[in-house]
Amino acid sequence: MLNQGFKVSARQILRAGLPDYGDIKTAIGIADVGAQPKPDSDALVPYNFSKRAQLRNMSLWWLDQMVVQEHPFVERMTWFWHGHWATSYSKVNEPVVMFDHIARLRKHAIGDFSQMCEEMILDGALIYWLDGQLNTASSPNENLARELLELFTLGVNHYSENDVKEAAKALSGMRVVKNSGLVTKEPRRSYFGTTTILGVTGNFESVTLARFLSLTAACQRFIPERLMYRFISPSASMMDIPKKSAERAKSSAFKIHQAFGTRQILPTMEELVFSDAFKDPVNAQVKSPVEWLVSVFRALQIVPSTCSQPDLLLTLLDTLGQRPFFPPNVSGWPADEAWLSVASSQNLIRAAQIFVSEGDLSPLIIVPKRERVDALADWLGVAEWSDRTRMAFEGALGDAARLTALAICSPEYLVSM
Amino acid sequence: MKNISRRSFIKLTSASAVALAHSMSIHEFAEAAGQPPLPVGTPILVIVTLNGGNDGLNTVVPYSDSIYKSLRPQLAYTEEQVLPIGDGLALNGSMIGLKSLWDKNQLAIVRGVGYPNPDRSHFSSMAIWQSASRTPIKTGWIGRWIETQPENPFLAISLGTTLPALFQGEKRSGTVLPLTGLTPPTGMLASDYAKTSKKTRRDGQLSASAARSMRDLFTVAETVAPILKNPAPPAADLPTVIGGNAGGESNLSAQFETVAKLIAAGVPTRVWSVSLGGFDTHANELSAQSLLLGTVSNSISKFMSQMRTIGRSRDVTIMVYSEFGRRVRANASNGTDHGTSGPVFIIGERVVGGFHGEQPPLNALRDGDLAVTTDFRSVYGSVIESVLRTPVDRVINGWNDRLAMFTA
Repeated sequence: MLNQGFKVSARQILRAGLPDYGDIKTAIGIADVGAQPKPDSDALVPYNFSKRAQLRNMSLWWLDQMVVQEHPFVERMTWFWHGHWATSYSKVNEPVVMFDHIARLRKHAIGDFSQMCEEMILDGALIYWLDGQLNTASSPNENLARELLELFTLGVNHYSENDVKEAAKALSGMRVVKNSGLVTKEPRRSYFGTTTILGVTGNFESVTLARFLSLTAACQRFIPERLMYRFISPSASMMDIPKKSAERAKSSAFKIHQAFGTRQILPTMEELVFSDAFKDPVNAQVKSPVEWLVSVFRALQIVPSTCSQPDLLLTLLDTLGQRPFFPPNVSGWPADEAWLSVASSQNLIRAAQIFVSEGDLSPLIIVPKRERVDALADWLGVAEWSDRTRMAFEGALGDAARLTALAICSPEYLVSM
Repeated sequence: MKNISRRSFIKLTSASAVALAHSMSIHEFAEAAGQPPLPVGTPILVIVTLNGGNDGLNTVVPYSDSIYKSLRPQLAYTEEQVLPIGDGLALNGSMIGLKSLWDKNQLAIVRGVGYPNPDRSHFSSMAIWQSASRTPIKTGWIGRWIETQPENPFLAISLGTTLPALFQGEKRSGTVLPLTGLTPPTGMLASDYAKTSKKTRRDGQLSASAARSMRDLFTVAETVAPILKNPAPPAADLPTVIGGNAGGESNLSAQFETVAKLIAAGVPTRVWSVSLGGFDTHANELSAQSLLLGTVSNSISKFMSQMRTIGRSRDVTIMVYSEFGRRVRANASNGTDHGTSGPVFIIGERVVGGFHGEQPPLNALRDGDLAVTTDFRSVYGSVIESVLRTPVDRVINGWNDRLAMFTA
């Protein structure tokens, strides 16, 4: 199955890198809006207006990148990390601070995970989101410490409650300027002294702790699991590493885990993409709303920011439960069945009618009617239509818009194999 | 631009044998929707999930305990601020509606509820509560119950946009209903999508779920749409001054309003799920939590009054829980960090009102946290048996414990 052509094109995609974005902030108008004006001030309306406009611009800009780039692999990875270090605008409430948060993730998206950890633990949005600025030596707040261990580096059950308490001490004393995201450590509020974390005693502070955690065996296991969860399937059994060494050598999970030994993300993703598990059609997963929207827009050549109703897109994603910059909680977005409901079905159908009315359907229109079903599969990247879906297409072959709207809401399209 | 979706660059053409299952027309959907209304007397469960970890000690407050005052001086309520209910305990001052249900013996408070070796992660602990399993499993306890029942998209409905883990079954899951209701397409579009969502044996598990959720859209919407246009049943016996009307429009009260309308219309739903977030009070807890608890209390007392108006109050049981309680000692931000056990509320005319389970003693904390005195699965056990009318171990593998929380 795995032919040379696939290897070459997959490599090309993974190594495509990023286009030269230049100064994005200036281009789309992202800037510090200053401190919030007093409730009765005249400045309040323009202040709120500016924040809303910035949030809208940066959301559409990001979706644009995922849609228009030839190989948006780095943006796909940045999106993955957004769900991993899941921080929400709902609490941060400052566009520039959220923008910088995502920019940091982008910078390390396919790079070195340890460096990513070192930088993220000093990220203003993340600290504020998890109350890190309230965590002081005299009275710890464990929120950030716990999630750093549980969700960002080690995985649940790979640390003790005492490790959480000790890590909170190491992270204490940070100050965040809310509107700029500037982070400083205040000696007066910080704990000085040794802490013992995972059995190791030392003078840990934010950066050394983050690096230390990223280099643990638990982390080497955990991050590949998260990558497999999102890029292959949430099914747990696929991630099991066999105990017997003969089976282990053949296990995709084991190879991916080994590749992460260097903490380099790109080689780990290469191992993942070339793994047997990735190719195995058993490992299906439901397209999340953003994945669905982006793949539809790529096929139909619709650009989010310049389509007829960009705001409707953001509302749609909100309704479907997955809007950029708004993960539902610190563990990120759910997967699979969570995206399948009568509510989402209705919204997908509605959205599909709008999208086909402004998308470019020429790949279908230029094909004779009798070849359209196969052309649809190629165009949309569906391996195979079921007979059920083929029969549904029968009556719609003459109407490219109707056919496309059916196809992009079909079970075969909603589930990626 | 070229379309490169997740795996289009390895487009596999796995040619598998195609078996076509039976088909169902749009008319059959419509017929399926016309189910008989739920007979009066059928028990109905409403599950209220408080997301974020509700601080149990400031919900059922040990106001007279000196340790309570000394461990959280800035966060401790005084006797004048709370609603005493005996045993040295009091309800949070904002919970006037629930206090009146307590006075009528319609509120059971199970104290110290949790599970052994508490997990302080929101994610894991909520997964434990919703799956009723200490080790990770995919299905929720209501999801497993759904699978003991005949297939019916109305059986269990969650208000919201995404399916809670609670409702997830192995092959069949509960239904999600957005607050705004459903208005699916009609005419040709409807018959088109009815065709693409027909059952086929070729579907894998996820594709089958995708197809089912689209089929259910038509079934559920047809029934629900006209009902949601109805006015909500009146809360006839509730003085407006303390009623839910006073609480303003919160999302939770809107969810309850929708549930009330649908129950009034006789929709054949046995389990409802509603939820409220914001309980993760690491900072400035007092005002935030009392606002939230006030919403919970007002919504529930109004809902129960509506159920009395329509003659379903004996059928309805409400269960309120959160993924964990919070640390006894306050933090420096006038909040509390993640803790262990907390109270569970069971509300209804058939519950044995009063306290159940032991209050975790403040002079015997476990590493600064409350002890767990009642296993949450025992609470579920009584609900599964008395409200869902199903043997407990069919839903929770190997579990049989129950509390005496319901009258016959």
